[in-house]
Amino acid sequence: MRNIIIKKISIISICAVALLAFVQLSCGSKDVKNNRKLLYWSSNNTDEITWAREIVSEWNKEHPYDPLQFQPVPEGQSSEEVILAAVVGGTTPDIYSNMWQGDVELYARAGRLVPLDTLPGFLDFLYKRCDSSVVKEITSTDGHIYQIPWKINPIMLIYNQNMFSQAGFSNPPRTYSEFLEAAKKIQRIDLSNGYVDRWIGYTEVVVLWWQRLFDFYPLYLAASGGAPLIKDNKVAFDNKYAVETFSFLKSLFDRKYFPRERLSARQDPFLGGDIATRFTGPWEIIHAERFKPEGFNYSFSPLPVPDDFKGNAYTYGDTKNIVVFNTCKNPGLAWEFLKQMISHNGDLKLLKITGQIPRRKDLTDDSEFLRYFSERPQMMKFANQAKFVKGPDTCPVLKEVFDAISQQFEACVIYGKKSPAEAVHDAAKQASILLLQ
Amino acid sequence: MKEKSFIPYLFVAPYVIHFLVFVSFPVVFSFFLMFNQWNIISPMKFVGIQNFYRLIHDDQFFKAIFNTIVFLVIHIPLQIIVALFFAVMLNQKVRFLGFFRAAYFLPVVVSGVVVTILWQQLYGFESGLLNRGLSFLGLGKIGWLVNPDVAMPSIAIMATWKNVGLYIVLFLVGLQTVPSYLYEAAELEGAGAWQKFRYVTFPMINPTFFLVLVLSTIGGFSLFIEPYVMTGGGPLNNTLSAVLYIYKQGFFYYHMGYASTLGFFFAGIILLVIVIQKKFVEKESR
Repeated sequence: MRNIIIKKISIISICAVALLAFVQLSCGSKDVKNNRKLLYWSSNNTDEITWAREIVSEWNKEHPYDPLQFQPVPEGQSSEEVILAAVVGGTTPDIYSNMWQGDVELYARAGRLVPLDTLPGFLDFLYKRCDSSVVKEITSTDGHIYQIPWKINPIMLIYNQNMFSQAGFSNPPRTYSEFLEAAKKIQRIDLSNGYVDRWIGYTEVVVLWWQRLFDFYPLYLAASGGAPLIKDNKVAFDNKYAVETFSFLKSLFDRKYFPRERLSARQDPFLGGDIATRFTGPWEIIHAERFKPEGFNYSFSPLPVPDDFKGNAYTYGDTKNIVVFNTCKNPGLAWEFLKQMISHNGDLKLLKITGQIPRRKDLTDDSEFLRYFSERPQMMKFANQAKFVKGPDTCPVLKEVFDAISQQFEACVIYGKKSPAEAVHDAAKQASILLLQ
Repeated sequence: MKEKSFIPYLFVAPYVIHFLVFVSFPVVFSFFLMFNQWNIISPMKFVGIQNFYRLIHDDQFFKAIFNTIVFLVIHIPLQIIVALFFAVMLNQKVRFLGFFRAAYFLPVVVSGVVVTILWQQLYGFESGLLNRGLSFLGLGKIGWLVNPDVAMPSIAIMATWKNVGLYIVLFLVGLQTVPSYLYEAAELEGAGAWQKFRYVTFPMINPTFFLVLVLSTIGGFSLFIEPYVMTGGGPLNNTLSAVLYIYKQGFFYYHMGYASTLGFFFAGIILLVIVIQKKFVEKESR
């Protein structure tokens, strides 16, 4: 009898709690829907958080009836994973900056992004900000535009000036031949044991698709004058530029000018004097200034190109863009905010606070941007390079394509198991199959 | 009639809920995924047996299985021999026994990632401690992680170092159950040290031996952290283990349907091996 009473009381209590929770949730969600502020996520880089807070606070002061809520992207193994989890869970912010350009097509095809070109005034704004080549680059395969080109980190060659001058070079290497010649002079072999303990450069030998964004891809863009890897959903890299790039990199590994071992777990090999150059972006400046030893001089130059190359060397821009997710209830308001965020003043603030370069065509023409760069000669080099950058191609299987390239890169460049032509052809063949799926 | 109480169900509920949510549901869902194409963010697409068709034509997956078998072939005998050797040593009356037992067990409790990073430094081609040592002895350098033929054995050595402590403990337990009178009887019969080990110790620790064999096999099949951190599956995919390949398909490229197919196929292989081992154990135990 006593058990029956306990059982009944328990069931009634559970039902009552569930009913209360349901009522509370229903009312709560209604409130949230009605008064929901637009939510903006930035990256979780400290400087970028400072910048974003400032921009959002300005907006909220000017628009007290349409305030925005800001937070950095939640912590996770990578921001890409966090965004993916948010998309899957339906908890995406309305606006997200710092979206890698190569990911946009995947989300666009899944219908998770707002086609921004449908918003009034978007295209006019975009063409004022960027060249038509950039607009073409970010246009999705369905003809819509789902992203705003925002900032870039052009990949250039950082070089140790002291080491180059000691080896008898007054200028950084411009061509493959010059690079190989410098490599020969800079390479140091410990005669007591035959070990190489100084190399011209280093690149990650592990087969991870994104590593190729920092060696093969920028060099391919430099060699080809910015040619695509994928064009109209077809492979476009089975060409002489990819073969030249593979050949150049292969020579570096064959002659032990680049080490085959991983140096990443050691202290910084560039600042430590183990390597003389590195393919890197403007983030290196802050790092080098903070940790360089006394008397260490460095500078940046465009990436080396084939000997017969003429013109300006392109590079990979490590482009990060802004998107509006389809969970956004008011894309018009989001666009109004974005116009302010990436206005001349917004971009100038971004540059001053974070040291990151906005992707806009007047970077070296506008007096205020120019003043900033003139005061920072190292950054000026990146600003000049900014005119010649490319983002990743629009392709839903881009990571797999880079993985195919990476596999062949390892077989040919690092282990010499294939000729460059054969490796490029095999990567292209594999990528073609991926594109058909 | 006695009233049925629901209180015991409340006590078992946490485990049952955990089991249903984190074990049963993923298994059932993965089974369902095998017949679908799904990249997490787009709607699922039914593809029938396309994932199976892809699997049987996937050379890289079969290479990954082959690599895993290579790892097992090196790792299991090495682990058993080393563990048994140290267990026999630690079963003697030596000074600082407690210290040695703790020291051998220490790598087992250290994080796998930490161990792999440590060994990565030891295995460095130009600057690693092992090659420095070889050079000091006037020997040539070994491409521990960069030579495609040597990389998997190097990983097997490292995995042995990491796990051997656990198997030493298991063998020690087995050794301590061998009655001393058996050794005394063997001595009276004129048996030497090797004969005592071969005809007394070894038969008596047979159950422990097979326990270690089964545990090493299961552990070896799940090879992941070591190649993931040290080599990424290279050089030339020679350290790409089956689990690492499945992980890459699922979480690098979001081919969830295909990764599930690979997962089930690989689970079938493990099941087959364990069943064979079980039959073998039963036969040996009789």
